[in-house]
This record gives sequence, C-alpha cells and structure tokens, in this order.
Amino acid sequence: MIGELILYEMRRSVARKKVVSLILITVVFEVGIYVALSQVRSPRIEELISPIQPILWLVGVLLPQSLLLHFITISISSGSMSEEYEQGTVDFFLTKAITRLKFGTGKLLGGFILVSLIYILMVILAITFSSLLFGSQEYLNFLPGLILTVLFSSLTFFSIAFMVGELVRRSSLAFLISSSVLIGSILVGAVLVFVARLTGDDLYNVIAIALPSWGATELPFLYAGGIPNASLIVQALEIFPAVPGTQIDAVILTIGYSGIALIISFVSLLTRDIPKRIA
Amino acid sequence: MEGVEVIELKKSYGRRKALAGISLRAEPGKVTVILGPNGAGKTTLIRSLMTLIFPDSGQVRILGQDPFRHKEVFNRVGYVQELPNLPPFMSGRELLEFSARIKGVPREEVDHVLELVDMRENANRKIAKYSKGMTQRIALAEALLGEPDVLVMDEPNVGTDPVLNLRLRQELEKRKREGTSILISTHELEEVKRLGDEVYFLFNGKLFFKGTVEELVLRFLGVRVVVETCDRESLLGVLKRLDYVMEVKESGNRFLIRLSSDKREEFLRELVLNEVRVRGFFLDQSLEEAYEAAVREAVRA
Repeated sequence: MIGELILYEMRRSVARKKVVSLILITVVFEVGIYVALSQVRSPRIEELISPIQPILWLVGVLLPQSLLLHFITISISSGSMSEEYEQGTVDFFLTKAITRLKFGTGKLLGGFILVSLIYILMVILAITFSSLLFGSQEYLNFLPGLILTVLFSSLTFFSIAFMVGELVRRSSLAFLISSSVLIGSILVGAVLVFVARLTGDDLYNVIAIALPSWGATELPFLYAGGIPNASLIVQALEIFPAVPGTQIDAVILTIGYSGIALIISFVSLLTRDIPKRIA
Repeated sequence: MEGVEVIELKKSYGRRKALAGISLRAEPGKVTVILGPNGAGKTTLIRSLMTLIFPDSGQVRILGQDPFRHKEVFNRVGYVQELPNLPPFMSGRELLEFSARIKGVPREEVDHVLELVDMRENANRKIAKYSKGMTQRIALAEALLGEPDVLVMDEPNVGTDPVLNLRLRQELEKRKREGTSILISTHELEEVKRLGDEVYFLFNGKLFFKGTVEELVLRFLGVRVVVETCDRESLLGVLKRLDYVMEVKESGNRFLIRLSSDKREEFLRELVLNEVRVRGFFLDQSLEEAYEAAVREAVRA
C-alpha cells in the first residue's frame, strides 16, 4: 500500500506546473553552464579551466545543491500535504483502509524519491556534458558519496517544507514560508559570517553553522573538498566558504532539523481534524 | 449489531457544540437517513464516522469495529463525500483501479461499476475535465466498488441528473435487499420518502427526532388525509359531526382533512356508513411540510 502511495505522490507532484518549471530551469542551467564554459574560451578562462578540466563533472553535480535543488525540494514537499487539504482529496485517502501514518509516510517517501530522481537526472546530464565537451572525467569514484551527501542534505528543507505544508495546509503559504526560511537563513548566515570576520568573535560562526541553511548546503562541499584540485570549483559554488564547520556538524544538524520537522509534521497529521474543504 | 453504531458522540469547536451526544444505528438491510438543516451536525457526524474528525467523546462502531483503531474495516465501506474532491490529474478509470487495488477488489469490477454509473465512455478522461455530475458519478462508482457491507453517503444526489438518481435508487434498493447498511445524509426529501427506513433528524448538534418517515410526518404535521369525491355535501355533512376533524381544505374534488389523532380507520368507516361516494382516500405525506414544521419546532424548542 505504501508503494501505491509513493507512486501516487510522484505522479501528483509531476502533474504540477510549478515543479515541472523548476525542473526545466535546473536542466537549462545544468546544460547551459557546460555550453557556456566550452564556448567562452578566453586565455584567462583557459588558464583557470585547464587544471580542473578532468573534474568539471563536479560543477554540474554541485551546482543544483547551491540553491535550485532546495527550491525544487521545497516546491515538491510544501505542496505534498497542503494541496491534499486544499483540494479536499485527503478525504478520499483517509476514508480508505489507509492509516494517517501510512498516508504521511507514503507521501513523504514519494516526494523524496522524486527529488532523488530529479537530482540523478541532473547528475547524468553533468557527467554526459562534461565528458562530451571536456573529455574524459576523473575521480568519478567520489560520485556515489557526493550524490548521497547532496540527497541527505536536501532532507533539511524537504522536511521543513513538509512540516509547514502540514501545519498551514495552504500550498502557496507553505511554499512562501519555507522559501523564506531558506533565503532568510542564507542571508542571516552570510551576515553572521561577515560579523565574525569583522569582530573576530567565533560565536557568530557558531550561530551561522546552527542555522538550517548551513548543514543543508555545506555537507556536499565539505565532502567534495577531498577531491584533488576541487577547491576552485568548491569555492566558486559554496555558499558559506569561510565557516569552519565539519562534516559531522553538518550531519548532526541535518538529522536534527529534519527529525524535529518530521516529528511535528506527523504529530499534526495524526492528531488534527480534517476539515471539510470549502469549494 | 453489525452495520453502523454511534454512541453518545460529542464534538465541540470552542464553545459551539457541533455534536451534543448523538447516538445512531444504521442496521443491515435498511436505509438510515440523517436529516436536518445546514449546521445541524450531519457532516460532522459523518466525518467523525469516517475518522476524518476526532470526536471529543463517544464511540463509533462500523461492522462491530472501532474504525479509528481498525482502519481495515474501511475495505468493507463505501463512502461518497459531499461534493467529491478526487485527484484531478487521474482519469476516472485510474482512480477506480487505484481504489480497487487498495480495497483488494478484482480489477474487472471497475468496468462493472463504470457501467452502473454510465461512465464507461468517459472513464479515460482526466477528472479535471469532468463536469460536476460526472465527478459525482465516479465518486458513486468508487463507493459501490467491491460490494461494500456499509455505504455512507453525504449528499449523494448533488449534481446528478434524474436518470442517475433513478439508477442510484435502484442500486441502493438492490443493495438494501442484499443486507447492506446504508447511511445517507441528504436534503433530497423525495429520495428520503422513497428509500428511507429510519430517519434521524438533527438540529444544533442534537438528535431532535428518530423514527420512520411516516412517524416524522405524523409527529410534525399531524394526520392529514386526502379524500377525493364528487359528493361534496354528504362529505361536509359528515365532517361537521366528527369532533376529531380539525381542519378542512377544499380544492376541486379533493379535500385535505387534518385529524387531531390517527383515526384514519374510524374516519373511513364513517364515510362508508354515511354513503359518501369516495373515489380516493389516502394519507397525505408531505415530507417537505413535515420537515419545515420540524425545523420550526426545533427552533422553538
């Protein structure tokens, strides 16, 4: 039964124009960055690209992680529950032999599997275009770990948006709130890092690390730091380059934010009434 | 008792009592109707029954089981929600096949229920493209899928045409004969008159009346009989002598007579003994008027 719900959720998300638009934008970016790098070959760019040419696949793999993947994630999961309430379709499922726990779990897994498939599509594009335009690619043994860290990191905003959708039960509001948390957290984090640099007080860095955006965006970059010659790409795409956090910090924060958000989501789903949809 | 049983169900929203201790039984082989004006608590009652709303106290039993604890009981329940909201990106057929898989019903049954609601030709269109009536047909088909032991219907006739209404009535009559417990909340009094075995009249979250349709009419409208005759003078002569005749309304050859109590047999005997030539004699069951009278009395109470 969970399998049915997972498939349903994936179909439902793909049927939404907002999600499809975000996927298309990301694909365009993904392809566009390689086409741009291959076409604009000034001596300076040649000089910069030359040592990293065998690992240019990393650009396409890390690029969505910076921001777009989080927006796709928020778009999918903020509507996951809220649209069922808005459209009144939640009644159809919960008046079947489907417990609320199974319904929520099915939708959560369906949404996350869809995010994973979208990201894997981006990775395939990145590998294909980097190989076609810049020759044989190296250090691809890092790819599985990198994919896992990106998907694991996306859990933070996936869970937060799922929780907001369940709590407010309005899709536009849920998308707005979740996106604001993402953007707000990045901006506040950047300001805190800047203040830490000015004052030399490390407490501001600690606060910046504790924000949801740091763990959600940094883990793959920290992991990619282990790839030889990757520092130029990592620094170019990283959102918090100067924050001295570790991979363990990022994992703990991701688990913490995701766990709390999911607990709140399920407590709400399991205990609140489903009001009649007012057409 | 199998079927549906609701015991002392209470639900409040702040200070407003949506359900103030409602008890109800929908027995197998009967059509039980929930009546009442808007805001009476009908939908809250049905949504509590279907586990969409958590009651503050009281019990719900479907086929002897607590549906909040044993959701598997819904595999034997068909439910039509008021103004059905179905996933718009699915086709009618896809939705029914999805439901069949969840309920564990063979896929072949989908065609049977589609036939029943006359939707085979439109089954592959997206629900988003359906009219209100077509969506209602799919919702009815979905509820009837798998020969459920219990049918719960919240306003099933909204948006349906007379042909579908007739077909639905025939289907419900068939299911009733087969022993299905049918619980309907509706404002369609004609359907209540034709199908209803037992009526629960709710008002402001309380049970105001429980009984058969005939009992409802007798209670709130009194006993009204219609006599059809050309023998006007003889009839009026008899009526003048009978102290239990409360009111007489004349319309051509039809006389609407209100009696103070149920003395239909005695009254008919008087007409025969006094050789009034009676062409027609029947009980006037205007459910609409009885309903209106019930609401008036409930407001006063």
